[in-house]
Amino acid sequence: MIEASKFVSRDALIERFVDLPDLLARIENDRELLTELFAMFQEEVPVLQAALHEATNTGDLAQTAAAAHTLKGMLANMSMKKGASMAASIEAAARSENETAIKLTLAALDSEIADLSSAVDAFVAG
Amino acid sequence: MRILIADDEPVSLRMLEKTLERAGYEVTAVRDGRAAIKELCSPEGPRLALLDWMMPEFDGPAVCREVRRQRGGRHVHLVLLTSKNSKQEVVSGLESGADDYLIKPFDPDELKARLHTGLRILQLEDNLVEAREEMLYKATHDSLTSLLNRGTIVELLARELTRTRRESGCTIAVLGDLDHFKLVNDTFGHMVGDEVLREVAKRLLSSVRSYDFVGRYGGEEFLLVINNCDAMKALERAEEIRTAICRAPIDTSRGPLAVTVSIGVIASRGRALETVEEFLCEVDRALYAAKSAGRNCCREAGFEI
Repeated sequence: MIEASKFVSRDALIERFVDLPDLLARIENDRELLTELFAMFQEEVPVLQAALHEATNTGDLAQTAAAAHTLKGMLANMSMKKGASMAASIEAAARSENETAIKLTLAALDSEIADLSSAVDAFVAG
Repeated sequence: MRILIADDEPVSLRMLEKTLERAGYEVTAVRDGRAAIKELCSPEGPRLALLDWMMPEFDGPAVCREVRRQRGGRHVHLVLLTSKNSKQEVVSGLESGADDYLIKPFDPDELKARLHTGLRILQLEDNLVEAREEMLYKATHDSLTSLLNRGTIVELLARELTRTRRESGCTIAVLGDLDHFKLVNDTFGHMVGDEVLREVAKRLLSSVRSYDFVGRYGGEEFLLVINNCDAMKALERAEEIRTAICRAPIDTSRGPLAVTVSIGVIASRGRALETVEEFLCEVDRALYAAKSAGRNCCREAGFEI
């Protein structure tokens, strides 16, 4: 009972950013793997964000689209649907050469990632 | 079953790896297309692969094209993982040589079902290859003795004669005929005759080197092709083979039977024979000479006295 209630409180927090039932279904309810994936996510997301920022700063639209695509893939894999949708918008904006849309959505994505990273930290810390 | 997964994004790679391990696959995980090509094109590489579409340098479709180009033999079942889902993109992925595609983020049940389809295709291919190899074996070997059949041994002799002529080497052909074999069949029956032929085949095989060839030329006639042999020792080699056949009686279901063989032998070096037929004609004459000399002996073509 103690373990179950612990999961419930941890899950409630993270579910603001992650579709946890969807993610758990896709990893076949492996809670150990979930923790491992969150840890990997925390390591990887700054790298992918940095690549996206570098591409936008240099005005390289092809690279922006590629970096947004990779970030979108990881966020979608982690069932972080809102974040994935924002990354998809950046990718689409880069392909249609809409730099204004890129900048606006990137700021929103940065904020989303900052919030969800804090939630992930709290989840992993238990 | 071994499977290769390739994705430059580590979270996705780990999810795939774990899902597949749980499903019983032996997983090789790589982070880029170049490593995927290397693994898939190695002789014992995995025959099932999940490839992310977007990877630096070699993307999924490029890996498919390269694997199809380099690995011509056994089929490798390639599945592209993609978040691209427009018809045009899917068609371009399949045209690159992929067998299937899966939309990311993947559903584990769909992933396993699609890989099962791949496994069924690979199994079907294995069955076809096995059937083809069996047919090839049957087409080139004698069913009773498992030696090469007449067509194959003559073809090999022709090939060896061409090669040794080009390399100024020497090929020896040994044509042996079991003495009074009709008497064995008539006295003890064809089953015993078959037992004798099978044992003679074994003795012939153990009397030559692994890279020489032994074939059943006719009913009780055997043709041996001996490569890179000293022409001066042709008769000596033939005598060794004759001794190997008759050194001990053959144990049959009707008791032990003493068997002897007459042998004609010919070495290619120093002869101006143009065709394999001429070569065979000469060795057949030598065999006839051995029979005429009282059987259970060897004669070399050109030295029939």
